[in-house]
Parts: sequence; structure tokens; C-alpha cells
Amino acid sequence: MTAATVNAALGNAGLLLMLVASIVGALSTVAAVRSGNVRALRGVSRYAWLILAGAVLATVMMQRALITRDFTLAYVQQVGATSTPALYNVAAMWSALEGSILLWVLVLAGFTAAVAWRYRKRTDDPLVAWAMVVMFAVSAFFAFVAFGPASPFQTVAIPPGFVDGPGPNPLLQNHILVLFHPPILYLGYVGFTVPFAFAIAALVTGRVGEGWLMETRRWALFAWAFLTIGIILGAWWSYEVLGWSGVWAWDPVENASLLPWLTGTAYIHSVLVQERRGMLRVWNISLLVATFALTILGTFITRSGIISSVHAFGAGEVDGYLLGFFGVVVFVSLGLIAWRGDRLRSPGSIDSPVSREGAFLANNVLFTVFAFVVLLGTLFPLLVEALQDRRTVVGAPYFDRLSMPIGLVMLFLMGIAPVLPWRKASTELLRDRLFWPAWMGAGCLVLALVLGADGWAPLAAFGLAGFAAGSALRQLVLATRRQGWRGLVGRANGGMVVHLGVILIAVGLAASNSFTHSATIPLEVGTVQRWGGHTFELLEITEEDTARVNVVKAQVLLDGDQAYAPAITLYKKIGANIGTPSVRTGFTKDVYLTIDGTVRPEPGATEVTLRVFVKPMILWLWIGAGLMAVGTLLAAFPGHRRRRPTDPVSAPIGDPDVEPAAVEPAAPVGAAP
Amino acid sequence: MSVVEAPESPAEGRGRRRVAPIVVGVLALVMIGLFVLLAGAGDAKNATANTRLLDRPAPEATARAADGSTFDLARRKGSWVVVNFFQSTCIPCQQEHPELVAFAEQQQALDPTIAAELYTVVVDDAQDAVERFFAEEGGDWPVLYDDDGGFAVAFGVAKVPETWIIDPEGFVRARFISQVTAEGLGTTLQQLRELREPT
Amino acid sequence: MSARSLNRRLKSTAGWVALLFVVVAALAVGATRDTGPQSAGDRVDAISRRIACPECDGESVYESRSRASEAIRTEIRAQVNAGRADDDQIIEFVAERFGGQVLLVPRSTGIEALAWALPAAALVVGVTALFFAFRRWRLEAAGVPEPTDDDIALVAEARAAERE
Repeated sequence: MTAATVNAALGNAGLLLMLVASIVGALSTVAAVRSGNVRALRGVSRYAWLILAGAVLATVMMQRALITRDFTLAYVQQVGATSTPALYNVAAMWSALEGSILLWVLVLAGFTAAVAWRYRKRTDDPLVAWAMVVMFAVSAFFAFVAFGPASPFQTVAIPPGFVDGPGPNPLLQNHILVLFHPPILYLGYVGFTVPFAFAIAALVTGRVGEGWLMETRRWALFAWAFLTIGIILGAWWSYEVLGWSGVWAWDPVENASLLPWLTGTAYIHSVLVQERRGMLRVWNISLLVATFALTILGTFITRSGIISSVHAFGAGEVDGYLLGFFGVVVFVSLGLIAWRGDRLRSPGSIDSPVSREGAFLANNVLFTVFAFVVLLGTLFPLLVEALQDRRTVVGAPYFDRLSMPIGLVMLFLMGIAPVLPWRKASTELLRDRLFWPAWMGAGCLVLALVLGADGWAPLAAFGLAGFAAGSALRQLVLATRRQGWRGLVGRANGGMVVHLGVILIAVGLAASNSFTHSATIPLEVGTVQRWGGHTFELLEITEEDTARVNVVKAQVLLDGDQAYAPAITLYKKIGANIGTPSVRTGFTKDVYLTIDGTVRPEPGATEVTLRVFVKPMILWLWIGAGLMAVGTLLAAFPGHRRRRPTDPVSAPIGDPDVEPAAVEPAAPVGAAP
Repeated sequence: MSVVEAPESPAEGRGRRRVAPIVVGVLALVMIGLFVLLAGAGDAKNATANTRLLDRPAPEATARAADGSTFDLARRKGSWVVVNFFQSTCIPCQQEHPELVAFAEQQQALDPTIAAELYTVVVDDAQDAVERFFAEEGGDWPVLYDDDGGFAVAFGVAKVPETWIIDPEGFVRARFISQVTAEGLGTTLQQLRELREPT
Repeated sequence: MSARSLNRRLKSTAGWVALLFVVVAALAVGATRDTGPQSAGDRVDAISRRIACPECDGESVYESRSRASEAIRTEIRAQVNAGRADDDQIIEFVAERFGGQVLLVPRSTGIEALAWALPAAALVVGVTALFFAFRRWRLEAAGVPEPTDDDIALVAEARAAERE
């Protein structure tokens, strides 16, 4: 009993410590920076350490409570079970609302401390000081939510007869990815707080030049990379667990993670224009504000239950606070931008739409429109309900229809933009540089046709993907020729590797969305069924029984060479049957087997009905994701020597005079297909 | 969140002082609208009993009777029909059952020409489980088995229990989502009968 | 040297015309070969992707394994096999029964048309803004607009701010 009360007491103490340290830190830093008290400013980072200590203490106590199954905590009663395996028990912390806020708090505290450590010698710089104020303010908000309305440390009396909790939602305890997907996603979500903090600091101090941008470049890239990986892990989890063979359902919760990714991606492109030309200041700040605000909005959507979704947490007490915080973020930022409007005007102009800058602007318009479409589709049911008081849903086919043309234009831009020089491109130059990439696109198009693809949209996607890949490869080949291995690092070249990853994903999505086939196949032991060029034979139905689960597996011999075992798992504590697919992964196509329906076949039965999906090129998605991660790492690695941070960072491919003979060696690349 | 108007921002620069306030103003308006929309949104999980089938002919639907014969809803024209969608493992259905038993007794006490026929349509459940349930909990009205789910689809029934009232002309007159009471069902039926009387 | 001149000749107008020809021909072949969903099963999939599972949260009938979705799939399969109705009619049939909230694609009439009109409007706004921005920048580069004193002061201030 005493051990149990320790969990709640120390957990609450940790959150309270974080809350107080955040508030005191924010207020005292504001006071110090306004009065110019340099000594006080030098001590600012100590608040960050207190915040981190508080968050770590709270997390440790929550983990301890989960491990010791301390059922005096309401949260542990909700998600804890003695039979949950250790790893899923760790993940149980973020399997419901309160704990997921605690994870957010931990990651935020980590970022706050990381910023404080990184700039520990520069906290007397007002820009850094104000950035810390913003970090403290955001920490204060989340610490408050975790301490008050969404406290995971609420104690309740153990109801009479209570022996054991149900454990986490079954979908959150049957795949190892639940350990990685949420924390990585949160690293991405929360990571955007740092560039946002610096953007606000730049507005407050009026130092809206490029200095703050340089400071936050890596932070933004880091957050973006984790958001990307988190989203793709989510898609992978969906594919491996949910049993309908899809990777992306345009579910409101998925959209909530895509929205900041879209604006964040727009930002990491358009920021290059500001670094290089000092333009688009308002725009870049707006994108950062939008990205951060969208992470809050996404959290609100996920936690408030206003939109039905498979992954939404139940409606909690936090929605009002989150919505209020979202409003504060948006209106304070808008106000600051309006206040600093004059300083944000930047001199200079973009000479030609056919230039690197022009391509980045077009990219930004596309990403913004895309984000708008996703937001509109996600919130549209609310709009209809508010205006006409009837219920509607907006689902995947709507998003698919609208994102298809946007995706095609994006691929086209990815083909053109890398060869464009800054300032202005001549027709001559475009003709010269785009020739082989364009032929590579044509080659991919013809190849896809020969392999049996049909329909103009997927064919256009394959062709444009080839074109974009041609441009990216051309840039990489030229850069490695000139600089050796350094031609793969740095932002421009690493960016091209990321592009290649995106292209693989685009190809995989186009193929799997357009050419998936499915069938419902009744199987009987001893009879071989044929469908879609494959044979299926039921060997036997087996059963595994543990205290936690009862698994019924259909052992199915696929194409006569290997057995696959789609299963239905009964989670005894919850009484839910969860299907688990079994997938034969291949480079060109996956065969995805699930047991149809929710009715469990009896162990020892001789028949079962399978739902089978044949999906082409799914593996390309995961390869593409890996390439994106590698590319981001390469991009974060310092490129070729730079004297000042404001020097251009892309490879000097844009200047025709640097690249006299470099054009023709690109030929073999284009000739490859 | 500068989604709609933001593309304007690149256009900012010299000589655009008149545009900027408009952009900020429009943006602020859009944001306020969004804010109101989100703040006003209720919980997404409220079902309504409205159906487009209301006051229209009941859909064609067939099910298997307990003895294996085919039940055709269209043949029941001429009398009031109350259809209850049911599953023996669903808690609200179990709670509702005594009310249905009371309702059935109520109807049996009435003049057979106006009494309603009660049918239970079993959705996704095993026949022996249902029979056991009826044996234990009472109820002697016909039980129908919707093996392929076609009956429930025809009526657009997503979650049991649901109860529908169909008039002697075969028109859908009422739909109840979730549990009903004998009193509620009886009163509605009485009102519907009275509505029909003048004609 | 000859490789270089060959390269140059390839990249001439003729090379691009050939490219255009190949692309257009391939797309034309691919598009005409498109015969829509090939089998009844594919058609059932295509239809069920457009209908929301009525008893779950935000899944489509195609994805969902719930009982209602199974039943709706069975119904769609029956209607597809009967061959009487086209896709839209089958979807309308289901919507009649379960209500408009099972339609995953907004209709193009009434308020739901906004879901289609607003993205188009956003694109137009974005492209128009870009167009005007570039036009202004071009005029500026050509020295056409006379900056006011105000503007000049602003630029000076911004430059100063940048230097600091």
C-alpha cells in the first residue's frame, strides 16, 4: 500500500515540479530579458533541467506503477493487466489518453532541455532567451494538462472483486511497432516546437533576418525526419495489424499527423529561398506557426472525440484546454506577425518563375493546397453538421481523388526543380538538362505498359516518377563526380536521396492503390483452391492457448511451397477477437492473407474462409522510407565546406559556368532503362 | 493554419501595404470560424432514428424461420408488424427483452384484428444460443434468422437492438434505435393506429 | 568529341519530339486498355471502398470486418452478380437504407459541393497569387514601378536590420 501511494505522490510531484519550473522559468526569463539582467539570463537553463527532472520522475513513476501493476491508479486499472508481456506493458503508458499526454510531456521536456544545453552559453542573447520563454510556456501548458485535467496519477479505490485490469486495447498489444511508432511520431510532433519557439523569438525581438533560421535548420530537419518515420511506421503498423491490407486510410487521426508533415515539408523547401535570397520571411514564419498549430489541432482532434475514428482516444477532459491553446498559438502568432509586418518585408525579387526559387514557390502552393484539402476533408463533417445538422463522413475515396492530381504535379515538379538554377533558367538549359531525365520517365512509362499496367493515372505516375528519379540521379551523379563521397552529403544532395525515397513510395502507392485485387476464398483441408495465379491449400487449424490470449491459426500452404498462418486472437481479458494477417512479402507483390469475418474457426475444424489481397510493390514503400531516412541523415551532415552560415548550401549545379562538361556524363543514367 | 490565404504571403514586399491587412483580416476571420466550428462540435457518436425509409414501403426482405421455411415480410401485409433486431450476446438486447415480453402480452390481450405481430430478427448469432435464451427469458413469438445479413441491410440496421413498426399497408411508420420499452412501443403503436383511423 | 556532338544532336528538337511521341502513344495505349474493374470481385471492392461501415468509426465497408460490413458486402456482391444496377445505383441503394452518413464521397450537390469547390478555389487563389507576385517582381526588375519614399525608407530599414 505504501509503495502504491509513492507512485501517485512522486508522479504528481514530478508533474508539479515541471509545471512550477516552467511557469517560474517563463516569467523570470521574461523579466530578465526585459530588464537586461545578464546574470539572471545565464541561469535560465537551470529551469530546463528542473523541467526535465520533473518529467522523467513522472514517467519513471508511471512505468513503475505499470510494472508493479499498481491498480490504485485509475490509469493502471484502465490499461494494466498482469498478463500483458513486459514490452507491451511499457507501451501501455501511451495506449490511452492520459498516458499519451505524459509521453508528450516527456518528449517536450527533453526538447526543452536539449535547447537549453545546446545554447547554454548563449542564453543572454535575447533571441535565445525568448525562445526559451516559448519553450517554457509550451511546457507549462502541457505540464498543466498532465497535472490537472488529464492526470495519469489519479488514484481510485480498487472496486470490490477487482483482481486484474483489462490491459491495453488489443490492437496496441499485438505488434512490436507500438513500441516505436508513438514515441517517434511524438519526437516529430513535439520537435517542431523548437523552430516555432525561435520563430516567435525572432518576431518578439524583431531580429527577423536569417539568423534564427540558421539556428533552427537542423532542429526542423530533425523533427521533420522523425515525423516522416513516425508516419511511415504508422502505415506499416496498419498494414501488419489491421487486416484490410491498406497502409493509409485517410482516417482523421492519420490526417492529423499528415497535416503538420505537409506544412513542415513546405517549410524545409521554402526556407532555402530565404537562406539564399532573404525573401519569403512572412511566409516561412507562417509555415512554422502553421506546423506547430496543426500539431496542437491534431492532438485536439485525436483526443476530443469530435470526429469518429478508429484510432481516436475516448473523449477526455482535455479538449477544451487544447482548443484554447490552439487559439492562443494562432492568434498570438498572427498578432506578432502583423505587429512586425514592416520588418518582415524583404527586399529583392524573384526574377523568373522558371528558376529554383520559382519551383520552390510552386512546391509551396501545392503543399499548402494539399494541406488545405486534408484539413477540409477532415473537418468537413463538422461543417455539414453545424450548418445542416446531419451526419456525413468524408472518406478515403475523396482524398484519393484529390491527392492524385496533386501528387502527379508534385512528381513533375520533383523532376524539374533539381535541374533549375537559381535566378533564371533558359530554355536551352532546360532542354539540355531535362533530356535524359525525361527519357528515363518515358522509359519507365513504356516499361510499366509492357508489364501490364493500364489506366492513364497510374501510368502518368510511373512516367513522372521515372522523370523525377532521373533528375535526382543526375544531380547525384554529377555531384559525386565532382566531389567524390561528399557528393552524397549536404542538403542538396541528401535532399535528392530523400527525393528518390519519396519517388519509390509514390510508385508503390500508385501501384498498390490501382492494382490491388482481393477475393474471398473458402478453403477446405485437402482441396487446392486457385485464384489470381496462386494456389491455396488449408493444412490444418491450430490453436495456442495462454493465460492472456487464445490464438487460432489457419495454416495455409501458399503456392505449394510455404505455409502462412493468418490468425484470430481472442484477448481473454477484453473478450475481443482480433484478426492478424499473414503476408508473403515480395519485391513485386505481396500476398496478404486474413481469416474472413470475426467468427473464429474452431480448432481442428477442416474449413475456413480466407480474404486474400494481392498487392503490388508494397515493399517499395518500406524501401523508400529507409531511403528517406538515410537521405535526411545525409542532408543533416555538413555538406562541402561553408565559410559563413549564410553562404549558399546547395551544390553549385545552378551556375552554368561551373558545370561545363558535366552535362553529358549524365547520359548513361538516362539511357539505363 | 494559414491554409487558405497564405499563398498570398510570398507576394508581400514593397508597395503592398494595402493587401497585407486584408490578408491578415481574412485569415483571422477564417481562424475564428474554425475555432467556433471546433468549439461547437459535439461528440460524434449520436445516432439518429431518421431513416429515408420512413413513410415509404418497407423494403423487400426475407429471412429463415426457425423451422427452416422462408419468411417473406411482404406476405405480412394486412396487419401491424413490429420487427425487433436482436442478438443474444448483446447486453442492451438482453435488458430490453422483458419489455418485449410485456409488449407481446399486451398485444395478445387486444382484438386480433388490430394487434401487432412481433418478430425477432436474429442478426449474426447461433440458433441454439437464441433458442436457449428464449427458453430461459421467455417469449413465444416467431424468431427469424438473418443468415446472410440481407434483412438487416435492407433496413439499414447497423447495431442491434433496433425496432421497426410497419403498418398493414406495408409502410414503415417508426424506427427505434437501441432499447425500447413496452409502454413506449405500445403508445407509439396506438398513436399510429389513431392516425390511420380517419382514412 | 563525337560522343559530345551526338549528345547534342540527340537533345535537339527532334529528340524532344520523339519523346513526346513515345509518351503520348504510351499513355494513349494504356488509357484505352483501361477496362475498369476487371472482375466482379474487383467491382465489389471498388464499390465497398466508397461506403462507410455503419457501425464502426470511420472505416469503409471494404476495410471493416464488422458484421454490418460483411452483410453490406454480401448485398453488393449479390447486386453486382445480378448485373442490374451500376456502381452509383448500388451505392444509392445502400445510402437509402443506412442514410447519407455512409457515403464516403461527398455528393456534388448542395452543401457537400463545397468539399469539391473549396480545394479548387484554394488552388486558384494560390496560382493567382503566384501570378501577381511574379508579375510584380518582373515589373520591379524592369524598373517600372516608382517606389514611394515610404518604400525606400522601408527597404533601407530592412537592409539595416539585416546587417545588424
